[in-house]
Amino acid sequence: MSFQNPYLDGLMERVVRRNPAEPEFHQAVREVLQSLDPVVTAKPVYITEGVMECLVEPERIIKFRVPWEDDKGQIHVNRGFRVQFSSAIGPYKGGLRFHPSVYEGIIKFLGFEQIFKNSLTGLPIGGGKGGSDFDPKGKSDAEVMRFCQSFMSELFKYIGPDTDVPAGDIGVGGREIGFLFGQYKRLANEFTGVLTGKGLSYGGSLARTEATGYGLCYFADNMLQAAGKSFDGRTVAVSGSGNVAIYACEKASQLGGKVVTMSDSNGYIVDKNGIDLPLVKQLKEVERKRIREYVKSHPEAEYHEGCSGIWQTPCDIALPCATQNELDGASAQALIRNGCFAVAEGANMPCTPEAIDAFQAAGLLFAPAKASNAGGVATSALEMSQNSMRFSWTFEEVDEKLKGIMADIYRHASEAAEQYGMAGNLVAGANIAGFVKVADSMLAYGLV
Amino acid sequence: MNEYASRVLANLQALYPNEPEYLQSVGAWLDMVSPVLSRSTAYEKMDLLSRMVEPERIFAFLVPWTDDQGQAHTNHGYRVQFNSAIGPYKGGLRFQPSVNAGVVKFLGFEQTYKNALTGLPIGGAAGGADFDPRGKSNREVMRFCQSFMMALYRYIGADTDIPAGDIGVGAREIGYLYGEYKRLTGRSESSALTGKGLTYGGSKIRLEAAGFGAVYFLARMLEHAGETLEGKRIAASGFGNMTWGVCRKAAKLGAKVVTLSGPDGYVYDPDGVTTQEKFDFMAEMRASGYDRVEDYAERFGVEFYPGKKPWEVPADIAMPCATQNEFDIDDAVLLLANDVRYYVEAANMPATAQALKLLRLTPGKIRTAGAKAAGSGGVAVSALEMVQNSLRYSWSRAEVDRRLQEIMSGIYDASAAAAEHYGLGYDLIAGNDIAAFEKISAAMLAQGL
Repeated sequence: MSFQNPYLDGLMERVVRRNPAEPEFHQAVREVLQSLDPVVTAKPVYITEGVMECLVEPERIIKFRVPWEDDKGQIHVNRGFRVQFSSAIGPYKGGLRFHPSVYEGIIKFLGFEQIFKNSLTGLPIGGGKGGSDFDPKGKSDAEVMRFCQSFMSELFKYIGPDTDVPAGDIGVGGREIGFLFGQYKRLANEFTGVLTGKGLSYGGSLARTEATGYGLCYFADNMLQAAGKSFDGRTVAVSGSGNVAIYACEKASQLGGKVVTMSDSNGYIVDKNGIDLPLVKQLKEVERKRIREYVKSHPEAEYHEGCSGIWQTPCDIALPCATQNELDGASAQALIRNGCFAVAEGANMPCTPEAIDAFQAAGLLFAPAKASNAGGVATSALEMSQNSMRFSWTFEEVDEKLKGIMADIYRHASEAAEQYGMAGNLVAGANIAGFVKVADSMLAYGLV
Repeated sequence: MNEYASRVLANLQALYPNEPEYLQSVGAWLDMVSPVLSRSTAYEKMDLLSRMVEPERIFAFLVPWTDDQGQAHTNHGYRVQFNSAIGPYKGGLRFQPSVNAGVVKFLGFEQTYKNALTGLPIGGAAGGADFDPRGKSNREVMRFCQSFMMALYRYIGADTDIPAGDIGVGAREIGYLYGEYKRLTGRSESSALTGKGLTYGGSKIRLEAAGFGAVYFLARMLEHAGETLEGKRIAASGFGNMTWGVCRKAAKLGAKVVTLSGPDGYVYDPDGVTTQEKFDFMAEMRASGYDRVEDYAERFGVEFYPGKKPWEVPADIAMPCATQNEFDIDDAVLLLANDVRYYVEAANMPATAQALKLLRLTPGKIRTAGAKAAGSGGVAVSALEMVQNSLRYSWSRAEVDRRLQEIMSGIYDASAAAAEHYGLGYDLIAGNDIAAFEKISAAMLAQGL
């Protein structure tokens, strides 16, 4: 697909040529440039001053080897990456992913997306991403610790509370952040907010676990209110049963909605009476069991093997909170047919491009992940604020700030969409609003 | 004592036979936390205890300085960076002839577990020198502080280690130390030290903090028993900052402190130390440097008891606010005989081990709170000073006071809940050690080896 502004065609071609064999990165850049097409035409200064060219090139990429020893004394060598993409509006900030699929292109794609998402939060955080092709699955705690220590022994030279503040992502949870933080503290001899997602005993923030799910519902609520609707009395379909899904379900219920579905990678449940969330928490957070166990306590509910059918469930509001590309074109058609009027993404990129096109063509309210699931990174930034102050906020204080941030994100995204003649298109609005703040800062700094 | 704990203690006894204070305080602590250790093998698997009872790092350095006659002297300086699991190292500097590596290690150990329950991100440390500021001129103290900081500055910093005052290190010494730190680093890094003067980054309420905090803690104990401070009589020792703070906050909440003490004896004021005039006179006595309390009796026409301790006065509450080991087994027997119902420590380790044990073994008669909990108002406001420095903003008196009250309440709640959880009833002393142990051990386990 080509652009209306021919400059962008050239730029896109250059991105593909200079970053061969990185399809995820190409796709992410193309999607953002499409949203920005009317913006650069209206303000050609972004082109003439080199902002667009700089924007698609990371400020810095660090690649390093990570040697470590397993419990049997066998040596392994993984690859480590940190892409410091943009520091235009704050220190680099973005997660670390430990997964065998990690290579430079994936980290670049994630780092690029992170710039706009972080900008939207209104907090002073730039964009970065990192990780390794290490797989924590099947490794002992001691092996994970040795890997994390080796990884940090190289990474610590490039990060810091005012430079680059990594967080978790796939394969990097509380355990890994603890090991990484311990090693950083030992090497740097300072106790600072250099990482987020920390445990509560050593500098973590309250409400971090709930943040993405709660933030999703706060965003969706703003979107619904603007259309004269609300969660109250509505049927809600939620997929997934991790942190995002569980706390989206909790907040949607608190706002008056009735959540009727949840899922895991094996299948999904439908409970017409409304999901019994305390039971789901018990199954998933305490007993670590499969979601199918739910129907043992609630025989009136149904369990379906496989996940694709979940969107056939009639609902007013859909909150995909499981995984990428879980909601395709056919699922989108089913939702539309059943009268669903709003979709808000809780997971990262859960809807395929076909699904998004279908929603927009049918006039549904659609909230893209970049905006609607930014509650997680927003609360990471609030963790940084608390670390800098050397003081902790209460759960209510963090929640209140999160609510304000999500309302601002909605307002900025919808205003940007309207300003460029695409009222209601929050996909474009989020990209534009995130971009403008970063681009104007880059203009202010000159060529740096 | 738990078997793993006994082995760790035996090892320390073999390694450090000449550090009795350190061995004593570690031994008592291991006893207190034994119920937790017995619940999980993870502590031993990770050999966690060994890293909880020994410092992460110790610095020892020489401090040469010249007196006003041009004579050179050489003192010994120390900094023990005990534990950084939950925040940068934090703890006082003590200038006193009795300071040595063992004393500083003991102080750093106690500080680690005291700091943990404030809920603020501060690790544990202590430091000092065998220098005696008494009888030295201001210039001599200044030259000593400058030489001391010249050695110390490379190990401390706002995100690394934040010293404060202690015995022999007051506002004057902190001022000299901070001035030298700023000069050497070239940075106005105010949160590298706490206890600073109000003109250069200090916090309001800092001087009163320990006394206020102890009374807030006491108020929660009374509330638990369905009582209030209204009309209560408090026997207190000392007449310095700590006692002064206790008198003021107690008066404000409707109670009265009826005794003050000094090295010369104690005074009994049946009307209570409750007026501004009396508060101001205490401050004058302290500033005079005579170190005697008899003047109070003369000024206000109350009885003075030379050479005696205030614990013989019948009261509802006893609060030792003076110094370590001021309260012995005979005093404990007196309290019980006089039906004193609350014993709340504001000073550091004021009771001998025997005395404290007797009080803890009679929970039906007297409720007891230890210094690590009730006496932590001082370090709490030190940490609030760091917060204000980081914010580059100062809070009002009322705001610091409110936050201090919340922190003391939090410590009370955590101590009471931990005691309850481990079936120890209302043993706030054990509860405090256990809650602090749980917080620090969780952070250490999370951060790996």
